[in-house]
Amino acid sequence: MSLSQTRTQELQKGLQQAIDSADTALGVDLAQAALSEGASPLEFFRGVVEPVLTDIGERFARLEIFLPELMKAGIVVKAVQQQALEPAIRGHSAESSSLGTIVIGTCQGDIHDIGKNMVALMLQVNGFQVIDLGTNISPRAFIDAAKREQADIIALSSLLTPSMPYIKDVIGLLNGFGLRDQFLVVAGGAPVTREWAQSIGADGFGEDAVEAVEVCRKLMAERRGKKA
Amino acid sequence: MKNTTRLLDVLDRAESGSIIEEAQWDMQIVPMEMARLQAEFGTSLSQLGDTIVPDDDALADRVFEAGLAMAERLGVYCVSTSRHIRFTRQEILAALDAAPTEVTIGEGLDRHTERKRRVEDPAFMTMKGGGVGTPIPEELYLPVHQSYAQEPLVDAMINCTLERVYGREIRSRSPWEVLAGWHEAELTRAACRRAGRPGLALGCVENAVSDVSELSATSYGGFSPYDWHHVAMISEFKTDYMALTKLTHLVRTGSVIHSFYNTIYGGSAGGKEGMAIAIVGGCILLQMIYMTNTHSVSPAHPFYDNDTTPEIMLAISVAQQALARNSRLLTDVVITPVAGPGTRTLLYECAAMAIMAAASGTCGLIGPRSAAGIHSAHVSGLEARFTAEVGRAAAGLPRREADRIVRQLLAKYQPQLNQRPIGLPFQEVYDLTTLKPLPAWQETYEQVKEELRQLGLPLR
Repeated sequence: MSLSQTRTQELQKGLQQAIDSADTALGVDLAQAALSEGASPLEFFRGVVEPVLTDIGERFARLEIFLPELMKAGIVVKAVQQQALEPAIRGHSAESSSLGTIVIGTCQGDIHDIGKNMVALMLQVNGFQVIDLGTNISPRAFIDAAKREQADIIALSSLLTPSMPYIKDVIGLLNGFGLRDQFLVVAGGAPVTREWAQSIGADGFGEDAVEAVEVCRKLMAERRGKKA
Repeated sequence: MKNTTRLLDVLDRAESGSIIEEAQWDMQIVPMEMARLQAEFGTSLSQLGDTIVPDDDALADRVFEAGLAMAERLGVYCVSTSRHIRFTRQEILAALDAAPTEVTIGEGLDRHTERKRRVEDPAFMTMKGGGVGTPIPEELYLPVHQSYAQEPLVDAMINCTLERVYGREIRSRSPWEVLAGWHEAELTRAACRRAGRPGLALGCVENAVSDVSELSATSYGGFSPYDWHHVAMISEFKTDYMALTKLTHLVRTGSVIHSFYNTIYGGSAGGKEGMAIAIVGGCILLQMIYMTNTHSVSPAHPFYDNDTTPEIMLAISVAQQALARNSRLLTDVVITPVAGPGTRTLLYECAAMAIMAAASGTCGLIGPRSAAGIHSAHVSGLEARFTAEVGRAAAGLPRREADRIVRQLLAKYQPQLNQRPIGLPFQEVYDLTTLKPLPAWQETYEQVKEELRQLGLPLR
């Protein structure tokens, strides 16, 4: 059963209120109410969660809101996914509310994390499952985590020129271990350029948090298209 | 005042403070406290409209009180030990009272003393010229630095980073980083000698991403204790054993310590109000954990990587005024423009920052880190000369007059920022044989100076 347009708008407004007040319980209640009214988890995600998060992402891109607001959105949406949508999805086996799994971190020798945190949050609020490994992560640790989490994408951040070679090393190790086809690799960070990312064989590059989401969405759509 | 007793106290607290998860620090503790402080101390900046250099002393004092409260309530998180390092208000005030109001860097005839300045102070700011970590090809590393060292108004130099060492890629926390640190010391000192300023103080070790390069290159035959050595606080308000290891080495070698903290606009601290408080509180915390001689905060725009946008400049101005009026701390401003060499936009951005800083009580200017410091060799000594000249002309300017000129400059460069006019690399704006700016770049410099005179800046 589909939600009416009026009801969908009510739910969107309610979810925005839940995010504004970081009220996870309200967000989960709204999702459960919609599910009990007959909406499928995917319908709720696409009709309610995605439009609200798209609006939040656009406001962040215009710097009308900041990281703390993104954090609230991340916390509420994660609770909605884990406590309401995912349990319901088990009953709808063909559906998934996640756009894909991304392992993200800052490369070895580099302890900068604010930019990487912004990207991780933007990915999360846009529907990706994000495993943030933190900072100063060795190439091997990225690959081990991607295997363990059955990730789709490895997202590598570098804010310093001497940590950039480790991005190349991740791709080199994936090739060496025969794993390159299993994972998409995207790169970003102040000294990383589109041309350099292409030259080392990365699958994608994000100039900033907004572009990172676009790139990951595009790569996942292509990946799913190939698998279909 | 740095000493082993205070060092041991910091190291002890890094192992005895309460245990916290890093994610809790980043996602809850810092943003919640920053939001609380803004509401509690009434530090809204929205009433200032398009002002960049406000002359509201009461506002500056409230921001200082908020920053002081931030330093007391938040403290610093040590990532290596998962411990919360905290200080009482009494300890903070005692450290602020003992902080030096001047520091002498460099050696021999090239030594220079950086001194405390007040808001609208007629004294000149210290000019620490250089590309601040901008990547430079090995073959250009010496001439690029010589182009700064040869500028008479450059009081100290701030180094760039090497793209490669002996033709090899540099990897952080590896033997290559050690070699890069040594190469930086040898080539920058050679640049100073060639410029006839062998004792010029060097901002180092720029290739020390981790601790290994600082520990190796700050030793006999490398960088001297009279150079100014960098230790970073990780955003937001975090340290780790790599930074504390650098600190320990610098304290025990009696080296001049310059520490910095680069917050991101729109990050955990929020917008301009949060950023102003974070700059003040950040400088106080740098003093508490690193016993710093000079402090700098270089906020970055999340999309342009610069600090010349109006909201960031306003936050810097208010914070610098707060620190100048209420503390003894020596505070520097790093200039990080979007534009690069050969462009008028770069010079407008540098002029706006220098004028804002001079009127706001800043002690030293660092940079400019042209083209946001991320484009290979897009830096040159001429923009440091220009920035120093503008900074001197702006010394003593009333804040209201500084604000008028800065806003006119902003109107000239702000529409250009979206285009990212990174300009030309060093070898296309300088003659590599004579190390003089090429005619086109020299002419642009002269034209923009004339424009500034027309705007009312008393520039020579």
